[in-house]
Amino acid sequence: MTEPVAADEMTPAGRPGDNARDISQDGTSNWLWRLGLIGGLLLVWEFAAGHLFNEFWSSRPSLIGERLLILFRSGEIWRHLDATVTEALLGLLLGALVGTPIGMALARYRRAADILDPLVMGLYGLPRVALAPMFILWFGISLFAKIMMSFSMVVFVFILNVTEGIRAIDSDMVDLMRTMRAPKSYILRKVTIPSIVPWLLASFRIGIGLSLVGAVVGELIGANRGLGWYVLRAGGQLDTTGVFTGLLVLMLVAMIANQIISRIERKILHWRVTAR
Amino acid sequence: MTDTAEIPRIRLDKVSLAYATPRGRLAVVDQVSFAVERAEFLVLVGPSGCGKSTILRAIAGLTAAESGLISVDGRKVDGPPEHIGFMFQRDTLLPWLNVRQNIEVGLDLAGVAAVQRASRVAELLALLRLSEFHDAYPAQLSGGMRHRVSLGRMLAYQPAVMLMDEPFGALDFQTKAAMGRELLRIWEAERRSILFVTHDIEEAVALADRVLVFSPRPARIVAEHRIELPRPRDLRKLRANPDFAAYTAAIWQALGDNDPGDG
Repeated sequence: MTEPVAADEMTPAGRPGDNARDISQDGTSNWLWRLGLIGGLLLVWEFAAGHLFNEFWSSRPSLIGERLLILFRSGEIWRHLDATVTEALLGLLLGALVGTPIGMALARYRRAADILDPLVMGLYGLPRVALAPMFILWFGISLFAKIMMSFSMVVFVFILNVTEGIRAIDSDMVDLMRTMRAPKSYILRKVTIPSIVPWLLASFRIGIGLSLVGAVVGELIGANRGLGWYVLRAGGQLDTTGVFTGLLVLMLVAMIANQIISRIERKILHWRVTAR
Repeated sequence: MTDTAEIPRIRLDKVSLAYATPRGRLAVVDQVSFAVERAEFLVLVGPSGCGKSTILRAIAGLTAAESGLISVDGRKVDGPPEHIGFMFQRDTLLPWLNVRQNIEVGLDLAGVAAVQRASRVAELLALLRLSEFHDAYPAQLSGGMRHRVSLGRMLAYQPAVMLMDEPFGALDFQTKAAMGRELLRIWEAERRSILFVTHDIEEAVALADRVLVFSPRPARIVAEHRIELPRPRDLRKLRANPDFAAYTAAIWQALGDNDPGDG
C-alpha cells in the first residue's frame, strides 16, 4: 500500500526505546534551528528596513508587533479571527463531509469514475478564485458565500485523495477477508475505512491552507470583517504594517491548525510508528 | 451422512484456468484433476509462475474456473466456500490492528462466542509463542513473527482446510525452517487438511504426505510422489535421511524433464 504522508515513519522492527529517544532529540534541535532562523530573519528585516530601503514598503517587525498588541488589547482581532476561522473551518468540514463519500463512490464505481474524470479534473483545474464574484452574486456577502468559497477549494482534495487511497488498498488484504467469507460491512469497517484515514488526514493538512485561501478570497470580494478584509483595507490605506500584521495572523492560524492535525495524526496513526 | 469419510475435502476434476490479457486468453492451468483427502498434507511444487497459486485462488472461490469442476466437502465452489483458511506469501495483516486484534479477525469471522474469545486468543498466542507481543503492531514485528500472527489468524478461523500459497517464501532460510516446524507441530496436533504451494523441493518433501509436481505454464501434473517418511518428522535430522534425498532427487528429476528454459 502506498502511503500518502510520512512514509519515513515506517521502519522495520527494531528496538523501540532507542528510536523514541532519537526522535525527541531531533525534535528539540529542529526547534532550536527553527527559532534561530526566524529570529535571524526578523533581525535582518528590522535593520534593513529604514537603512537599506524605506520602511514604508516593508514595515518592520517591531511595528508589526506593536500593531498586534494594539489589536489584541482592543479586542478587534477577535472579530476578524472569528470570522475567518469560522468560514475556513466550516468550508473544510463541509469539504470533507461531501468529498469523502464522492471519493469512495468514484473508487467503487470505476466506470462512472472514468466517465466523470475529465469533468472532475476540469473543475479541479479551474481557478476557483474566479468563481468568487459568482458566489457573492448567488449568496450575497453572507457567511455562507465564504464557506462555499472555502468548500470549493478543498472538496477536490478530499475527492481525489480518498479515491486514490481506496485504489491503493492491498487487494490481497481484501481477498483474504473474502476467503473467510467476511461480509462487505466488515471489510468496510476493518479494511477500507482504516486504509483511508491517513489519506483523510493528509487531505486535512493540505485543506487547511486551501480553506484559508477560500475564506480570504471571499472576504476580499465582499465583506465587512475578517482577516482577509483587514488586509485588503490596510492595503487600501497604504498601511503596510496592517497588511503584514494580517498576513502574520493568517500564517499563525495555519501553523496552529497544522500542529493540531499533526497531534491527531500521531494519535490515530500510532500503529505506523515503531516506537511504543 | 454416512459417506462423509469418502468425500475428499477438495476435489478438482479436469479444471482449466485462464486469464484474459490484452493480448488475448492466457491458459494458466490445463485440465488438472486431483483431490485432497481429510487430514492430508498435500504439497504442490512447480516452477514459479506456473499457475499453482491460481489453483489455490480458484479453490478459495476468488477466481472462477474456465472449465471443469472444483468442489470442497462435496459442494461445488461458487464463491468462497465455508471453513477455508488462506495464507498468502505476504502476511496481509491489518497494520492498524495489534497482534491480538489481528488474530481476533479470525474469531470474528468464525463467529466465535464472546465468552470463548479471550481464552482462544490466549491459547493461540501461546501456541505461536506470541504472548509477549500481544499488543505490538505489525510494523514492530519481524517477518517471521508477522507470519506467525498470520497463521494465528487463520487458525482462529478454525478452517477445515488450509490453503497456503508459498506462505514462507519471503522468509530467510532459518525462519522458514522454524515456521515449517511450527506448522507441522500444529498440523500433527489438529490434523486439518493442508494444501500447500511452494517451489522449494526440500520444503515440499519435509512437510508433505504427498507431493504433486507441476509443469511450467500451462500447469499440468507431471508426477506424484507419496512421501513415506515417518512422522512426527524432525526437520533438522531429515536431511541426513537417505529416503529424503531420494525423494528430492526424484522430484528434481520430474521438474527437470520439463525444463522450459526460462525458469
